Amino acid sequence: MKKLIVFLVFFGCVAQSFGQKYYTKTGTLDFEGSVEAFEPVKASNKTTTAILDVSSGKLAVLGLVKGFRFRNALMEEHFNENYMESDKYPKATFNGIVNGFSITDIDTQKEYTVEGDLTIHGKTKKVTATIVIAKNGDTIDATTNFSVSPEEFDIDIPSVVSEKISDTITITANFNLIKR
Amino acid sequence: MKKLVFLLLFLPILSMAQDDDLLSELEQEVPDEPLPVLSVFKGIKIVNFESTKLVGEKQLQFIISHRFGDLSDGIDNFLGLDDATARIQFVYGVTDWLNVGISRSGFNKTYDAAVKYRFLRQTEGKSPVTLVGYHLLTINTDLDSDLFPDLTFSDRVGYANQLLISRKFNDWLSLQLTPTFFHDNTVIEDGQDNSQFALGIGGRFKFTKRLAFIGDYGIHLNRVSNSVFNNSLALGLEIETGGHVFQLHVSNARAIFANGFLGQARGDFGEGNIFLGFNISRAFSLGSKK
Repeated sequence: MKKLIVFLVFFGCVAQSFGQKYYTKTGTLDFEGSVEAFEPVKASNKTTTAILDVSSGKLAVLGLVKGFRFRNALMEEHFNENYMESDKYPKATFNGIVNGFSITDIDTQKEYTVEGDLTIHGKTKKVTATIVIAKNGDTIDATTNFSVSPEEFDIDIPSVVSEKISDTITITANFNLIKR
Repeated sequence: MKKLVFLLLFLPILSMAQDDDLLSELEQEVPDEPLPVLSVFKGIKIVNFESTKLVGEKQLQFIISHRFGDLSDGIDNFLGLDDATARIQFVYGVTDWLNVGISRSGFNKTYDAAVKYRFLRQTEGKSPVTLVGYHLLTINTDLDSDLFPDLTFSDRVGYANQLLISRKFNDWLSLQLTPTFFHDNTVIEDGQDNSQFALGIGGRFKFTKRLAFIGDYGIHLNRVSNSVFNNSLALGLEIETGGHVFQLHVSNARAIFANGFLGQARGDFGEGNIFLGFNISRAFSLGSKK
């Protein structure tokens, strides 16, 4: 009897900490703030980490600002040094929840809303977006996009370049999450 | 024993409690690995000297530098603007750590080719400095074979080898030391050793997000004693506007490559015969990065 209890407890722990979370280290974050007729302002981060707790629907995302790659190296440098101040604020994070999420509800894919705290440049804002979640065996694919403005995060765009950078920046995220 | 079992029963709850903050779980997994320090210098030149900044992979940088005439001539030659010498320079990033460049200077109608490579990068907790090697080969096409009948091609050749040691101390201050060995097969002054040594001291002092004071000084270590030439000094302002870096400065040297400004800076700050100048660079992307 005692052994059974110990076993049950142990099994319970294992079941709690494994099998409910889906995780990736190679998620993609793309942002685009281009204005037509000017050099494209866009970059991609392919080393974003993300974790989804399928029992609660909680989702957390973390991307290193220095991990964004631009086509123009000088633009990447300006982005880090003058706009995102990545030495001071090295991380961009999201911490939120997928509303009404239930893994058993998903046949192939389903659309949900996700809401939570987006932290960029040391400033935190609430965001809500649509997220498409697809299930494929032991992996979950999550895709979302939403728009933010640099102003909301105290990112100063000087007047000399303001016409070359869009007022709204579109962020697209794609995570291929693997059960762990 | 029962107490133990009772306690163990709480374990799942405890582990659930940890689940609450997924973000802090992620933060633990993303190691704060040291990343290289960015933007030690913004221009690939401090003013006269090369800086430890390199052009990125598959980027082409086009740099036009001007040095005007003697400022002390005053309005007669429009503060020297009537009398300009230029250097047109192309630098290509083979990789992020290896650059090759070619240029043509008005000074002595000099063609040059250069290679620049970074072998250590300032990284917090790993390396306090950035180390870059720079090698320059110059060809003086101004030497006239009518005036020097014995002139051979090798007389036109010079070269420079530099070790660039830079450190960004904080957000606003970067300094660089540049020990230099350079050699000119033809020197102007009698008694001047063809092989010459110099030490460069340069820096960037950033005072707004897009403006910085820049300056460099080149100490010649074995100049002939009665030389008319001086140590090079340049002081200026650096302005960043997106794809451009614009440097506006005054200098006592009119040559824009190492052998020229180190060996043959004629101007004298004390007497006011100095030269206005600017370097402007534009980066182009050729192909996408890996």
